[in-house]
Amino acid sequence: MKTIAFASLLIATAIVPAQAQSSPQAGGRYQAVLGDCEGCHTAVGGKPFAGGTVLQTPFGKIAVPNITSDHDTGIGSWTEADFRRALREGESPGGERLYPAMPYPAYAQMSDADVASLWAYMKTVAPVHNAVEPNLLPFPFNIRTLMAGWNWLYFKPAPFAPTAGKSADWNRGAYLVNGPGHCGACHAPKTLLGADRSAALTGASLQGWFAPEITGAKPRGIGNWSAGGIATYLKTGWSSHSVATGPMAEVVERSTSQMTDGDLNAIAVYLKDQPAGADMQPASASLRSDPAMQAGGRLYRDNCATCHGADGKGERLIFPPLAGNAILVQSSAESLTRVVLAGAQAAGTKAAPTAPSMPSYAWKFNDAQVANLLTYIRNNWGNAAQAVSAESVGKIRAGLSGGPSLANKE
Amino acid sequence: MPWGVQPSRRRFLASASALPILAFAGGAMARSISGTLPWQAFAGEPPKPVNPLGWFFFTPDEVATVEAIVDRLIPADSLSVGGKAAGCAVFIDRQLAGAFGKSSKLYMKGPFANGLPTQGYQGTLTPEGRYRDGLRALNDHVRTGHAKSFAQLAPHDQDAMLAGLESGQLDLKLAQGLSTRAFFELVLQNTMEGFFADPLYGGNKGMVGWKLVGFPGARYDYRDHIEKHNVPYPKGPISIYGES
Repeated sequence: MKTIAFASLLIATAIVPAQAQSSPQAGGRYQAVLGDCEGCHTAVGGKPFAGGTVLQTPFGKIAVPNITSDHDTGIGSWTEADFRRALREGESPGGERLYPAMPYPAYAQMSDADVASLWAYMKTVAPVHNAVEPNLLPFPFNIRTLMAGWNWLYFKPAPFAPTAGKSADWNRGAYLVNGPGHCGACHAPKTLLGADRSAALTGASLQGWFAPEITGAKPRGIGNWSAGGIATYLKTGWSSHSVATGPMAEVVERSTSQMTDGDLNAIAVYLKDQPAGADMQPASASLRSDPAMQAGGRLYRDNCATCHGADGKGERLIFPPLAGNAILVQSSAESLTRVVLAGAQAAGTKAAPTAPSMPSYAWKFNDAQVANLLTYIRNNWGNAAQAVSAESVGKIRAGLSGGPSLANKE
Repeated sequence: MPWGVQPSRRRFLASASALPILAFAGGAMARSISGTLPWQAFAGEPPKPVNPLGWFFFTPDEVATVEAIVDRLIPADSLSVGGKAAGCAVFIDRQLAGAFGKSSKLYMKGPFANGLPTQGYQGTLTPEGRYRDGLRALNDHVRTGHAKSFAQLAPHDQDAMLAGLESGQLDLKLAQGLSTRAFFELVLQNTMEGFFADPLYGGNKGMVGWKLVGFPGARYDYRDHIEKHNVPYPKGPISIYGES
């Protein structure tokens, strides 16, 4: 009797995941993971998909709308056709234009089947009554019809087309990266009007962070990473080269850590094959005897080496390495400056739940000290990048809101 | 009989007495965290260095006396600067002006009884009061013999005076319950603290005390040195505020 019960339990557990995979609802849930919908539409501590988060864009603030199935304040009254048009064409049922903070230019590549599956899931999301006035932008950006002009300039919707001669993995990766994953929303350089200058993922500044280059470039991109290393990073937040923090930590936590291993591998295969951006400046030999390097080295030894190591190698899953870490040698030191001033926390995932954090040094270092320190870590252990100026640190410090501890001490 | 069916009297009492404690702890302290650990940008409690200028407790006369004492307890020599230059008097002043001076973290109500020698001072005076009374009594004593204040004495006379305080041969007219020797030991203890405490607190200027004894200060990672036996540690000290 017991044996039979045990056997049927085994069968039941074997069947459940298979069912989950095949049900349109579970498939749609996975589409929401791929598109990282919750990254914007679920506020911190809020109900899933109920919106309310305020995004800081270069043009002003945009509040993220409620997309639960609530009839009055969500999208409960929409049809599948309405949903498809909003997702892929940036137009809501009333004919209102969406702002491209909603990455419809990327979602335009999503297949009919994936959109249908996502819609099936969205209909099952519990309704939450939460009225959000999304349009907080200043004039003239608050005029939604202007987006028609923006679309005419920049929006070239095209369904995803596989590239002949590339592997199935590569093409799946291309679809995920440029379609639902909308990696370019952060990692592609922008025009003055906030459109992707090109699809190339050569790094861009956004919301006070610099999203690094993620092409096959060495060492600035991820050319030195193995495909397995990239997949591990997206799954856990950690690789032997770097750790996800800031906005990328949110992406890892809410989206990539929940993707299948096959999809993560596909993304890795595609990214590694992307051509590098413009050539970087080689290390200046004189930099090593530079007073800034000397001063930065002393600061590093006294404040940083304890965790990140005198050799810059860090400790696995606790302290990210600095030697060979691509984020250190980006053209912009914006993220680095921010991390030193404000501190940072690593992504916390099922596979790496510790989420260690780095303390804030705003109270301890003045602008010149931060600049010297960054110049040093950007040009030591084989790293090579432009020196950082105290002025650029000062600008970033002024732009951060962190209370009195932020003041630059003389 | 298995536990739960009919508890023994002892078990019942033990578990019943635990209940109120559990209820209190649960209500007062419990906080559950799920997902990743909470974290905030700019979080931190930066150390607050003392104000290096001026005097917060000592009168000008007391400053002169204390500076003279600390400079004899730790005289300048070929190894280091003296106690005055190291900021020991500043350190003691800031301590007396703060919680230490007022014994604000100690029980200071009666009954007052004479304790054992190992129990230290048991009287009614806070450190503020002991310094004020001790310094007054010291200068009263010096003036009756020399017509000078302690600070005006020649160094070897100061040394003789301090030796007398330490041995108990010299008996100052102190408030009840405070012995001459106890006063001396209080000053000696605080002078050493001022010489070796973090510079944040006003003493140990330029980490002179740490450099003297080879203490590396607020460093906390010795992995690159731990296996180099009998090799002096090569890095100089670092203070809590990052001075090195």
